[in-house]
Amino acid sequence: MIKLDHVSYIYPDQTVPVLADFSLSIEPGEFVLVVGPSGAGKSTFLRSLNGLVPHFYGGRWAGRASVFGRDPVGRAPRGMADLVGFVFQDAEAQFAVDTVEDELAFAMENFGLPQATMRKRVEEVLDQLAIAHLRGRRISSLSGGEKQRVAIASVLALQPEVLVLDEPTSQLDPQAAEEVLVALRQLNEDLGLTVILSEHRLERVIQYADRVLYLPASGAPPVMGDPRAILAQLPLVPPLVRLGRALGWQPLPLTIKEGRVFARSLFRSAEAGERSSLGLAEDSGPGRARGRGEPLSPSAALPVAQPSPAATVVLDGVDYSYNGRPALRHVKFQAGPSEFVALMGRNGSGKSTLLKQIVGLLKPGAGRVTVAGLDTQRAEMDDIIRYVGYVPQQPGTLLFQETLDEELSFTRRGHHLRPDPAADRALLQRLGLAEVGGRDPRDLSGGEQQRAALAAILVAGPQVILLDEPTRGLDYAQKEALAALLLDLKREGRTVIMATHDVELVAACADRVVLLAEGEVVVDGPARAVMSDSQVFSSQINKLFRDPRFLVVEDVLREMKAEG
Amino acid sequence: MQSVTSEHHPVAWSGWLAAAALPALLTRNPLYLSLVLLAVGITYLALGQSSPLARSWGAFVRFGAALWLLTIPFSALTSHQGNLVLLSLPANWPVVGGPITAESLLYGLTTGLQIITLLLSFAVFNVAVDQARLLRMTPAFIYQMGVVSAIAVGFVPQMVAAWQTIREAQQVRGHRVRGLRDLLPLIMPLLITALERAMRLAESMEARGFGGAIEPSSHWRRLAQQLAILGGLAALASGLACLGFLPDRRLLAGSLLAAGGLALGWSFWDQGRRVRRSQYRRWYWNRPDRLILGASLLAGMIWLAVWLLRADWLFYYPYPPYSPWPAFQPVVGLAALLAVAPAFLLGAEAKAIQP
Repeated sequence: MIKLDHVSYIYPDQTVPVLADFSLSIEPGEFVLVVGPSGAGKSTFLRSLNGLVPHFYGGRWAGRASVFGRDPVGRAPRGMADLVGFVFQDAEAQFAVDTVEDELAFAMENFGLPQATMRKRVEEVLDQLAIAHLRGRRISSLSGGEKQRVAIASVLALQPEVLVLDEPTSQLDPQAAEEVLVALRQLNEDLGLTVILSEHRLERVIQYADRVLYLPASGAPPVMGDPRAILAQLPLVPPLVRLGRALGWQPLPLTIKEGRVFARSLFRSAEAGERSSLGLAEDSGPGRARGRGEPLSPSAALPVAQPSPAATVVLDGVDYSYNGRPALRHVKFQAGPSEFVALMGRNGSGKSTLLKQIVGLLKPGAGRVTVAGLDTQRAEMDDIIRYVGYVPQQPGTLLFQETLDEELSFTRRGHHLRPDPAADRALLQRLGLAEVGGRDPRDLSGGEQQRAALAAILVAGPQVILLDEPTRGLDYAQKEALAALLLDLKREGRTVIMATHDVELVAACADRVVLLAEGEVVVDGPARAVMSDSQVFSSQINKLFRDPRFLVVEDVLREMKAEG
Repeated sequence: MQSVTSEHHPVAWSGWLAAAALPALLTRNPLYLSLVLLAVGITYLALGQSSPLARSWGAFVRFGAALWLLTIPFSALTSHQGNLVLLSLPANWPVVGGPITAESLLYGLTTGLQIITLLLSFAVFNVAVDQARLLRMTPAFIYQMGVVSAIAVGFVPQMVAAWQTIREAQQVRGHRVRGLRDLLPLIMPLLITALERAMRLAESMEARGFGGAIEPSSHWRRLAQQLAILGGLAALASGLACLGFLPDRRLLAGSLLAAGGLALGWSFWDQGRRVRRSQYRRWYWNRPDRLILGASLLAGMIWLAVWLLRADWLFYYPYPPYSPWPAFQPVVGLAALLAVAPAFLLGAEAKAIQP
């Protein structure tokens, strides 16, 4: 049993406590989901369970904590390691050695377990996480989902009572995240392991949780309770729950399956839609070819977008390989002004490579890339970046000046533009960063840093904006703000191309979806048609109705109003 | 599937490395060195290029050859000693002016040979043994140092990747590197990335019990250990001093060094016993491993014995009054060739496996 009794904690050099008079208790064998906006103290709470807070971070601690009878503050993380297994957000950075089997043994070696015991436990955890086939592999050769499962196995080897995970799936694609979560649920059910997990994307995990702990932004006291009860109160929730709340569905559905019961009775036409899923899309055009009876080859069903005369970005038969490993194969792609394109596909399917081709960081091995009439093979980087702005996966790599204002003037100098403080201020204002212009960009929160990087790019006024995984680690509010901003940029006539795993974000703002697999364009079509045709890359609302008319909550509400 | 292929016993191969690298430190006689180099090359071929580590071989060879190509002209152009004059450069040219002699060419050649022998023995060792595993075999008392070095080794490629990402990110902002000042935008994020990464790793290791408890020991034991360390270091230092200032008293120097090594070794071993930790990997001594170690120990002992007792056998100096023609002693030649042992043993093993 885990008990926190009036715990308060302040990080060093801070004045506001992250945890203030915090009390809770968790029963053995529970699956607890920790949610809340960024900076509300989710990570801090999780780290207090094995003593990393306060031992690793310093700061002031008050109150009593007890985890299965041990005091994490008194024992320090080392003394808690065999009781609390801790898995971190960044799958890369938590490995101490270079092969899977050695990594699994690492913690046991530290505890001086006899060799025979170690052998036995390594075999056990290899089976429990279904990673026996990876045992001899180098960690660097694993995919993100595999890495995260190895990380879980490596803490399970000590046979802890509690497994604590800090946003373990935030960097994974939907399929890999699902694998990890299913593995966790199984450990929880089969072994009675207590699982405590934090996550931003509620729609992924809510169905697995027994209880939810909600940490509101600073000030308000935390709430803990049944998932349904908590979800009914949260300001920002997954689309399914939002729809359920808007329509007063009781009990509030948490899974698509539960929601379907309500959805079925909502529209007569939705039932028809379920049978001939794309039949209803005929009025929207691109789904028309579907009638020919090839339900499983969407590339045939959805014609590649016709070349528009005004296309600013054109890839024509582009091949590219990294050290002989093909990353793009004969890619044809175009995008024009006022277009919002989402690139989707598994990790390693070529999304980032495609973006780098457009901005000219990589040159095609065969074929041509043209941006605003410039052939990237011949054009200078300086000329390309006048038209193209690129925000990489880790926005932090872009920022290095002492203040955000200086970042903007740095970009201006790089682009040979005149300094214009008034315009800079207006841009920051628009991005909601007016307050933090004088701050060090590296001290900003995840969402602010993302927008700061965007500001540093937008100040040059690019026609094409490329974003690589822009919603990594953003909470719902930050995501909504980002989506609104990107839609604004699109309306101004810019081209927005975004590589992402976030289906809900795509449903909310993209016009077009390009699906990549193994470096090839598998599907290229209107978002509505592609998403309602896909099993994996479809939004919650679409899964609920299986009807191309409904991608987001607003679609449903509008249709209801129309039907009366 | 990319698996870790090397399963050779690291201790056996450490012995081999010592036996192959020792000659390069003890002699510059080109005959012996060529024999060692030959043995090293054959061993590499016998190991097979299948191992993922074999890729580094080419780089080692290129680097060694480049160094060698540098040492020969350097020696020839700067030394000007010797009787066999090949040609003369005008005497008024600074440093390089004067006669160019065959002896100075030979001297450069042998220096380069020493370097490349040393380098290639390390390269072969690299192919045979996974360094990461070797680092983790470090004895308990410096176990933490072993893990830390293993991490540092792995850190380098990660930093190269991070550097690449940051460079790209800055490039698209119109940043160009023209001078040292322009490196700041690249170095700042790199340092921050490195630090953040290190912090996250430290956290993860701490959460898995790294740096476990050390059992307390008695007062007398601690005193004995400290004395052993002090005495050992003193013996090592005087042994080295003896080597430097009294080159004739090799036996004395050798025994001082040995005594110092033993004292330090005991102290470390005793401290290591108190560290509570265990080893997951069990290394099996199969026949080839045992024989490789045996052959390497024999070779090493011959080299050391010759160096201690008949140093003139190893002596080679091309400049007058000595002869530019190297001497050859069959015993030393045999010791040099013993480094080829793994090639035969591994070859035999491979044949035995094939039907």
